Amino acid sequence: MSRPVLVRREQVLRGGQPLAFGIGLCVALLVGLVLLVGSGHDPLRVYGRMFEASLGDPRAWSVTLNRAVPLGLAGLAVAVAGSMGLWNIGAEGQIMAGAIGAAWIARIGGEWPSPVLITAMLAAAILGGGLLALGPAVARARIGVNEIITTLMLNEVAIRLVQWLVHGRWKDPGSNNFPLAPMLPDNARLPGLFERAHFGVVLAGVVIALFGVAASRTAWGYELRVAGSSGATARYAGISLERKVMTVLILSGGVAGFAGGIELSGAADRITEGLSNGFGFAGIIVAALALMRPSGVAAVALLFGAVQIGGQSIQTMGVSSSVSTILQALILFGAIAAGVLSRYRVEMVAGEATEVTG
Amino acid sequence: MRRRIAGLLAVVLSLTLVAAACGSDEEDATKAAFIFVGPVGDAGWTYAHDQGRQAAAAETGVETAFVEAVPEGTADFGNHVRDFIDQGFNVIFGTSFGYMDDMEALAGEFPDVVFDHISGYKANGTNFGNTFGRMYEPRYLSGMVAGSATSSNLIGYVAAFPIPEVIRGINAFTLGAQEINPDVQVEVVWTSTWFDPVVEGDSAQAMLDKGADVIAMHQDSTAAGEKAEAAGARWVAYNSDMSAHAPAAHLTAPVWDWGPRYVEVIEQAMAGTYEGGYFWGSMADGTVDLAPIAADVDASVVAAVAERKQQIIDGSFHPFQGPINAQDGSVLVAAGETMADGDMLGIGVFVEGVIGSAG
Repeated sequence: MSRPVLVRREQVLRGGQPLAFGIGLCVALLVGLVLLVGSGHDPLRVYGRMFEASLGDPRAWSVTLNRAVPLGLAGLAVAVAGSMGLWNIGAEGQIMAGAIGAAWIARIGGEWPSPVLITAMLAAAILGGGLLALGPAVARARIGVNEIITTLMLNEVAIRLVQWLVHGRWKDPGSNNFPLAPMLPDNARLPGLFERAHFGVVLAGVVIALFGVAASRTAWGYELRVAGSSGATARYAGISLERKVMTVLILSGGVAGFAGGIELSGAADRITEGLSNGFGFAGIIVAALALMRPSGVAAVALLFGAVQIGGQSIQTMGVSSSVSTILQALILFGAIAAGVLSRYRVEMVAGEATEVTG
Repeated sequence: MRRRIAGLLAVVLSLTLVAAACGSDEEDATKAAFIFVGPVGDAGWTYAHDQGRQAAAAETGVETAFVEAVPEGTADFGNHVRDFIDQGFNVIFGTSFGYMDDMEALAGEFPDVVFDHISGYKANGTNFGNTFGRMYEPRYLSGMVAGSATSSNLIGYVAAFPIPEVIRGINAFTLGAQEINPDVQVEVVWTSTWFDPVVEGDSAQAMLDKGADVIAMHQDSTAAGEKAEAAGARWVAYNSDMSAHAPAAHLTAPVWDWGPRYVEVIEQAMAGTYEGGYFWGSMADGTVDLAPIAADVDASVVAAVAERKQQIIDGSFHPFQGPINAQDGSVLVAAGETMADGDMLGIGVFVEGVIGSAG
């Protein structure tokens, strides 16, 4: 009996990732076409609208860029851990923890000059996200507790913490007993860039670029990759695994926290339970698509942001939210599948055992 | 030949002009957009709003459109609104509390667009107004039915969030249940979600396991009813008549009818008379009502409910008329007094007979 297995290609397919993404995109759009015709919509109009709303003019670009900021930073957070073979599934909660930190500073710094306040808020956001990752980091480094489980479970904790603050201590006395934190003061808001885009676009770009350089051009990045591919080699080379695991997971949490601070200061009126909006989970897809490389995160986040913004906007044409969500998933799935197939080929082999050779 | 081309050109030109005229006509026309927090298929809150949208579209002939499942507290709401305004929509309805501040800000940015917000507490007196309903009226009546249907004297109330709207409903329900059955207790389980069938079902099951034989709810799915049906218990639904989802369990439901209010707002927007004020609809104007009561409920109870309903409508009875004690035994409303609208809108404590914490 023969069955298909994935075998790593000796060489990544010529034309590489961009070509693979292109093909995946086309296949996904074709499948989506069937879905749209089946649900009674004109696919060309829908696709046209998707493009127009996400990349059609400067305003569309500004909205897409704003969306790409939390996606890119969450993706970066996952990728930083992923480059060492660690899985941070807790970016969703770390975004919330970062937002809590930033909101807390905004509560006490209402009179501070805006640049001082915003800098302090973002620093607190990084601390908040890093703090939430501290437990999983220590547990993983010292006693080998699986970080997937611990980071995942802390998501719920962070969201409940926001709920508890908003329903209790941080409830605005002027909110008529509604569970609402007070609005951010004006000096706590990031300045605008162009159209709807806020300054977080620049900050996120800089941070992603810094990590890109650190990952590919520094000894630190090299050690990470060595430690990620083989613990034994790393130990032999004198790299302290424990410390690496700890710093990388905490750093990963800090990056996600930074995303929460920017989202609060740039896009939200106040801290709410909805602030993380699934960005942390989407970040896992972003990082996977970017093959855990910080350098790829920005491009993927932009694509992802455009797909989300475009996908949302077709709802205003009467496309249901489920069809729009399926369409978004199709496009991303197409891109991921093509990315995998550009690195692996399918081969038929005899036998029953299942394994991925690589 | 040349004449033919000229003729053709003339035809094309006039067609373009006609098209342009039609186009600008369309731009001036009133178009209403709805932004929903849940999916329109939820059978609950959003479903009721979408029924209202369809009724308003049919009655006014105005083009309507909607987006569903739009989260609160994110940039998504504003993005959708701007999309709609780009497409010529000039009446925006937002049907969830968390949209309030976004709507207020957008109303300032787009003074020619009417923004009507459902369930908040803000309005700007011009193009941003507030709409809600006195759901506590039919809640009281549904409590009367539930009070008659329990033999364990424990009613489980599956509720979303401890906010005034929900607390007000639980209080009214409990007072109604006590009118028919003075020994009844209402225990509240908070789910921290408006729409999550799994959590809602689990919370209902927990109350059934504790001995509750009637489940009431302030949730948007039918999951609690399905658990009650399976356990042979009874169920007071919410938002719309949900009897099809749990035919044996369904007792009745306090329901919304948003159509008339939506028609009113759209017509005011068309006439330029929308004022951005506060509208709190009631059973008297049909915004809220009680769904038909199950056939096996005792005729005397049905008659008592009908009588109370009439008294509420004509103003001779108010669900929050004193004496009413708070959960801790202190006086909430003194005898001979009635709770003022402002106090009802900001209520943060339970009445006596409710088990659970309101915070």
